[in-house]
Amino acid sequence: MRRRFRLEPYVEFAKRAIAREATYRFNVFTGLGSLVVRVYLLRTVWTALYAHNAAPRELPLHAIVTYSTVALLMGLVLDIDQTRALYDRLHDGSIATDFMKPINVPLYFFADGTGEVLFHGALLVPALGFALLLVHVDVPSLGVLAAFAVSFLLGYFVGFFLNFILNCSAFWTLEISAVQMIVTWLTDLLGGQLVPLVFFPAALAGVVYALPFAAMFSTPLLIYVGVIGPERYFDVMASQLAWIVVLGTVSTLLWRAGARRVVVQGG
Amino acid sequence: MPIIETVDLRKVFRSIKREPGLRGALGALFTREYEEKAAVEGVSFSLEPGEVVGYIGPNGAGKSTTIKMLTGILVPTSGTVRVAGLVPYEQREANAENIGVVFGQRSQLYWDLPLRESFELLRSIYDISRDRYRENLAEFSRLLDLERFMGTPVRQLSLGERMRGDFAAAMLHDPKLVFLDEPTIGLDVIAKESIREFVARVNRERGTTVILTTHDLADVERLCPRIILIDEGKVIYDGALERLREEYGTHRTLVVTLFESYPEFAVDGAVVESREANVVRLRFDRRKLSAETLVRRVLDRYAISDIAIVEPDIESIVRRLYLEGYGGTARVEPP
Repeated sequence: MRRRFRLEPYVEFAKRAIAREATYRFNVFTGLGSLVVRVYLLRTVWTALYAHNAAPRELPLHAIVTYSTVALLMGLVLDIDQTRALYDRLHDGSIATDFMKPINVPLYFFADGTGEVLFHGALLVPALGFALLLVHVDVPSLGVLAAFAVSFLLGYFVGFFLNFILNCSAFWTLEISAVQMIVTWLTDLLGGQLVPLVFFPAALAGVVYALPFAAMFSTPLLIYVGVIGPERYFDVMASQLAWIVVLGTVSTLLWRAGARRVVVQGG
Repeated sequence: MPIIETVDLRKVFRSIKREPGLRGALGALFTREYEEKAAVEGVSFSLEPGEVVGYIGPNGAGKSTTIKMLTGILVPTSGTVRVAGLVPYEQREANAENIGVVFGQRSQLYWDLPLRESFELLRSIYDISRDRYRENLAEFSRLLDLERFMGTPVRQLSLGERMRGDFAAAMLHDPKLVFLDEPTIGLDVIAKESIREFVARVNRERGTTVILTTHDLADVERLCPRIILIDEGKVIYDGALERLREEYGTHRTLVVTLFESYPEFAVDGAVVESREANVVRLRFDRRKLSAETLVRRVLDRYAISDIAIVEPDIESIVRRLYLEGYGGTARVEPP
């Protein structure tokens, strides 16, 4: 007997996640506040750096300020650990009650994370408004914006699976904060959110571009500021897609092994 | 047709064998030796629709493991299990629609959401029709007095309120069968009674089958005509609670308060269970000796100031069973 799939519960999970995030109002305000401060600080730092050094040809001052601002705004969405619920429910054991409900459990986590991201994504609008009071942001052509949007979406899924893999490891270790911290550092440093990867020495850049972190921030950002031109869109997005396939496969395997572990060992 | 049927159900857990100490911990990183432990060893029983059964046993007896196999989150090592015609671990989601669960120690409500929102979410998870949902919610809300805290986030509810919410949540989709795992743990007397009343009512009016796991035998006495006793993974008794009382409740206790302190105290036909200051507890078999005869024998030899007879409670019967095992005449099959 095969059960009919119904989307409704998952839409509801997403809605409840939005409602839940909205209850943490203080987080919203501090998040926006700290974002505005960081936009201002980065503008100051880059301006000072550019005043004393020869500007690189491909990233003049207005482009680097645009880059930093857009990167910080993207962080509103990409810095979220949207599968945190998996870790939480493994940690307090409530995952057992999830398995006792007539739901597809990984899809539940996906829906919950999507709701969370949609809520924080909506904050992009006021955040952009505040940022524009402090800095000038270049707006590229519609075609570039569209490519950026697609690449951003691909980057989102790379981040989603990275987080999912990390949270899945809680099936075995139950303690993931140290690993998570390391991955956050790596993403910050090697993803190109803080410092564009074009500034990295050539030898290092080869490695860094090949890592999944670059697929999250660097690729869409370099498309936005025009360092990656239309002739390379296909290549860079194909590599983002490849990361999604690889990380998605690892996620699936880990989930199956983890769920089996719950099923065999009783959680 | 039985709603639950298990035959020779077994579950063996495999865990890494570890020597004690740092050496053992390091050793376990490299060489892995496994040790096997059967949590459930050949459990067979069946339940008819509408029964209320107490599934009881000491900690670690295998109760939760059995429940987990019935809910489909654990795969049995061997044996068969059917719940409402389904094999739970093969059809977990379909099985989940037939069952409701309440854990005293773990809520299935959504922590951050108001109670009402948790119910709404369950409505969509179980695809409950709007009318049915409204009816059930109205009824449960009346029986469990939920209205006052419907809008309160679950994390702010008291234990009693949360448990009432959990009960309503487990029953909203009209499950054929509910598993109650220590549902009254930590509750005060009044809350316990209102939960018991609710369970009895749902069983009576909706014919819901109930499996109750608990250490509070007052729950069992109040609700369960039939009990299944499990110890070390095996069923040691399955049958009517009354029958257990008849077979094992043969020993009564006579409590005597002595008028003065005698250096020695002994009466024919009874065993001194304890003696504290002037209070002596005498155990005797009601089949061999009447209370009247025993009292007379005591009065013949000692001066006493008070006397009382204590009937065996289910608690002491079960304690005896855990200690001695069931040696009764026959395993009583349920009607």
